[in-house]
Amino acid sequence: MVAHSRSAGSGRAAGRLNAPRPALVEARFDGTPRLVNRQAVGVVREEWRVVDRWWTEEPIDRRYFEVVLESGVNVCVYRDAQAGCWYSQRA
Amino acid sequence: MKLEPAALAPAPGTEPLLGPVTAAAEAAGVRAGMRLGEALATCPELVLVQPDPTAVEREWEGVLRRLEDAGLAVESVEPGVVVFETKGVERLYGGVAAALQRALAAVGPAWDPRAGAAGRRFSALAAASVARPGQILIVEGKDERSFLAPLPLSLLPLPDDRYAELEGLGVRKLGELAALPGGAVAERLGPEGRRAWRLARGGERRRVRGRTPPAELVEALSFPEAVGNELTLRRAFGALLDRLLARPERGGRPFRKVAVAAKLVGGGSWRRTVTLREATAERARLRAALGPKLAEIPAPVVELRLEVLQLAEHTGTQLALVEPAGVELGNRLREGLRQVKASTGSGSVCAVVEVAPWSRIPEARALVVPRDD
Repeated sequence: MVAHSRSAGSGRAAGRLNAPRPALVEARFDGTPRLVNRQAVGVVREEWRVVDRWWTEEPIDRRYFEVVLESGVNVCVYRDAQAGCWYSQRA
Repeated sequence: MKLEPAALAPAPGTEPLLGPVTAAAEAAGVRAGMRLGEALATCPELVLVQPDPTAVEREWEGVLRRLEDAGLAVESVEPGVVVFETKGVERLYGGVAAALQRALAAVGPAWDPRAGAAGRRFSALAAASVARPGQILIVEGKDERSFLAPLPLSLLPLPDDRYAELEGLGVRKLGELAALPGGAVAERLGPEGRRAWRLARGGERRRVRGRTPPAELVEALSFPEAVGNELTLRRAFGALLDRLLARPERGGRPFRKVAVAAKLVGGGSWRRTVTLREATAERARLRAALGPKLAEIPAPVVELRLEVLQLAEHTGTQLALVEPAGVELGNRLREGLRQVKASTGSGSVCAVVEVAPWSRIPEARALVVPRDD
């Protein structure tokens, strides 16, 4: 017979991959990012919106920007319309 | 909960009829089997308790284990009903009544347990059905027929329309049914009527077959948010299966009986038990046998569990002369992961499981699942 295994530890939680991280972003009047983590934005390559789960208590309303910083680094950031905060995330 | 008017809510997708109700609900005019709308109109403060088969199974397993610890070989009929023979422990406890008293104590007062003893299984079950909570009713062999005679027909396992048919014929008690000629009952009511007639006369003598205690290897995965789509569940199921197959307690033995259970988003749970025709530890075959059950889950899931209830004895299998392509690479990868785990500790090796690669929300596309195999 096998030992009783209904003990703590048999149920481990799965974590999220690619969870958003808070970012320091300064925006222009039209909402496009000017500075990302204190680095100037060279060009905004792409912009899109994600509106989802509006039927739940945690609706999602994000405005994504894929930007190239002047240092040459490619970054993806978004503004969460619900929280009014900026996050960086690999989209 | 006992003091509140509460009832078991109907399972999703079934007819909206109430399950068992508390005494407080009964006092307010609510009855088991009542329509949900009618019950809420009768008692607006009625609390509906979601069916939770996983919790029922777990609690019932606890009861059976406590009875086994008291030395009784138990045969579970259904959650709430168990049969056992006292012959083996009568000398230990000092008679049938003392052994049953010990059994009631093992079950615990929270269950309002009742015990019935008789020479035949149906008579014992009938005795337990009419006993009060905490009472022991012992029916001697010679008194069995007279004990059963005044009891209602509802103790018999018959469809509802059959009860109505019998009542229409003026048969309301077990004794009245037992007094009818067996051939006539079989002709009128068919095989199930014949079986009911035999039971009304006490039923056959059948030995109690004590169960083999379940193995209980359990793996569970809780999700950060409720998961509804089948593909995601299948992937999570695959990860759980890998973990179970890697458990050292298995000792290389294949699975015989497995249960898939889920905790549902609105409270309540879902559970399916599968007995494999041929015991196996092959991932692909287990997936093929258990995977389709996931489609039956009635609501989004917050936790998925996979339980091995019974392991088969170890059986040797013929090894392949030339292993299929990829097996050696897989073995090397597993060995590498074992080394990483050995140096960094448990939980350090994770697998990325794609759950919704099509999702517009990047963090919902994949999960990181710890792997200790």
